[in-house]
Parts: sequence; C-alpha cells; structure tokens
Amino acid sequence: MGLMKSHFGSHIGLSWKINNEGADIVSSDFPALTMASGPYNYSYIFKYIIIGDMGVGKSCLLHQFTEKKFMADCPHTIGVEFGTRIIEVSGQKIKLQIWDTAGQERFRAVTRSYYRGAAGALMVYDITRRSTYNHLSSWLTDARNLTNPNTVIFLIGNKCDLEAQRDVTYEEAKQFADENGLMFLECSAKTGENVEEAFLDTARKIYQNIQDGSLDLNAAESGVQHKPSTPRSALSTDQTQNKEGCSC
Amino acid sequence: MEAIIDEVVDPADLKKFEKIYAEQSGRGPASTKAQFEYAWCLVRCRSPQDLRKGTVLLEDLFHRVGDDHAKRDYLFYLAVGHTRLKEYEKALKYTEAILKVEPKNHQAAQLREHIKKKMKIDGLVGMAIVGGAAAVAVGGLVGLGLALSKK
Repeated sequence: MGLMKSHFGSHIGLSWKINNEGADIVSSDFPALTMASGPYNYSYIFKYIIIGDMGVGKSCLLHQFTEKKFMADCPHTIGVEFGTRIIEVSGQKIKLQIWDTAGQERFRAVTRSYYRGAAGALMVYDITRRSTYNHLSSWLTDARNLTNPNTVIFLIGNKCDLEAQRDVTYEEAKQFADENGLMFLECSAKTGENVEEAFLDTARKIYQNIQDGSLDLNAAESGVQHKPSTPRSALSTDQTQNKEGCSC
Repeated sequence: MEAIIDEVVDPADLKKFEKIYAEQSGRGPASTKAQFEYAWCLVRCRSPQDLRKGTVLLEDLFHRVGDDHAKRDYLFYLAVGHTRLKEYEKALKYTEAILKVEPKNHQAAQLREHIKKKMKIDGLVGMAIVGGAAAVAVGGLVGLGLALSKK
C-alpha cells in the first residue's frame, strides 16, 4: 500500500507544549516482570545483520525466518528492526539476534553502527532488479570495513520465485560471491525457499570458525557470546544475560 | 520491541553525529539529514535531557519536512523517545498516527503494544503504591485507636 499524501500528523495536534520536566529513566524498571525463567536454553548468541538496497526483501526474509510467514505489502523499514530465533547447530542451541537495517539512504549513516560486532552479515539483492545487484560492492565495502575479519558474509539473491522477471543470472552472482569469498544462495522470502538454509549455513560457518579457533570468543566484537550451560538463578534478567560475556 | 526500546547508542556515535550537527548549525540551519541522524542517536540515550533534546529536534523536523515517509520516521522515533521518557500517552498518540496512514506497519503496531504493556505495568505499580499508603494510614488509625483505648 502506498502512502496517502500529507496524512501524517493531520489528525494529531502537533502543536503540543513541550514539558521540560525530567522523567527518570531506570534501565530495569520491574525486573520481576521481565525476568527470564530458569537457565538458558541456548549455549551461544550470534549477532547477525541484514543489509542491502531498499525493497530487496530484507525484512521479509527476517519475518519468514522468525515467523515462517510471508509478510505481503510490507512498508519500508524505519531505521532498524530486531528479531530472534533459537536454532541448533551440531547439537548446540544457538540464539540468533538479528538486526535488520533499513535500506533507504537516509538511514545509512546511522545503521552503520549496527554492523559493529556482527558475527554474520546477510547481504541481500533482488534478482529482478539489477541496480540492487550493482550496489553490492558498496554494501560489501561497508560490511568489510565495519565488521571484523571473521564475520561471515552471506550473499542472498532474493525473489527467486519471480523467475520470469529475472535480471541477474545465478552464474553471474555466484562468480561475484566466489571472487569475494562470500557464501551464496538464491532465496524466496515469499515461498520460503532456501531461507532457512541461508540463516543456518551462516550459523554453521560461524560455529565452525569457533571450533577451529579462527574466531576468538574473547576478542572484542566477535559477535558471539558463549553461555554457561549450568542452571542459573531465576532472578537473572535478560539484560544481565546479554551483558555477561563468555565464561570460557 | 524491547531490544529496540532498550538499546543504548554508542557514545562515539553520539559524539560523531553531534559534531556534524553542531558544525552545520553554526552556519545556519543544519540539514535535515544531519538533524535526523543526531536526533536518532539522542533518542537512544539514557539521560532524560538527551532524550528530550532528541524529541525536540524530531518535532522540528516533522514541521520542516514535507515528505510523508520522512514524517513517518520522525513520528516513530518521537514515539520511541517519549516511551523512554515514560510519557506513554504521547508516545501512544504517535504510534497511532503512523497506523492511521500505514495500518500494516508492524513496527508501529509492535511499539504500540509495548507502550500499552508499559502503561499497564506502571498502572499496577501505581495502584500498589496507593494501596500501600492506604494500608499504612489504616494501620496508623488502628494504632491510634488502640493507644487511645488503653488510656
């Protein structure tokens, strides 16, 4: 659905008076109401980012992966979105924390700060729009410059259900991926084809990097947190879980 | 939605975008881009002063910029800023303004649910405080009565 003209704010009085009284912000207001119950049910947290031009289907891919549903008529993302899902790799439960960035240019400067500390980056283009493929080198430059050398970068050619409108061949993109050392799949957020594979293959590669020692969990911004497997106090909040680094 | 609302800006980022905004403001009105980037950082700060400053810059943008997509973004971050300031009524109004134009905007819908949940929690805590105060008052009266009756 397109936006109707000049409707924002027309029905809300935007000439309110600003009140300057300070409100106090307490980070964990009511821990008892937001507390995590019992021990972790995962042993690692991997941070992902999803990047690429606007309209390539980044949010739809995230939604398909976390909700197993296709979100039709999805409006352009405002800033960033966040999603999580617990997956299993080699018998280990891993929580994926996925930051989905808006593709519009006006967000780009600020969304760059979300690249920091990503263990995986999903770089998406639309196989029916060559311009989105042509911009990949710029997205790749950002991904390389703003993440660490071990960040797994996975190239996704989305909308592969629209074969009749294809504008970029599989072979061409595959070659680009190989030349740049990227993993690659064509997916469809609409049908769900290869969506699980893209997210899971990225996690497998990250896990493999941990296992063979090329990804140092103690390094700052590795994008991975290791969780103790022993049961913990039921009073630990999600907040503190996230802040505790690895215990290895 | 908690992750988005609770997220705190990296101080280095705040400083970076503050500098760009300040430099531009020194030469006349800052570009809407610089102002938005700085405001987006401010509404992810912890201090109420910064949050407030962010909402003021966003309100200004809302009036300066005619583009509807941009207006939607400003409303969303105004809602985020006011949520963090615990000004839930105002925050709710902004999310509803977005949903009137984009009924399928799940980000605004999720934020609205989050705000409603927060309002409910605050309401319950408020009632608990009032209830507690009433109990103390009753206790005091009973104590007074007992003290008097013993005389």
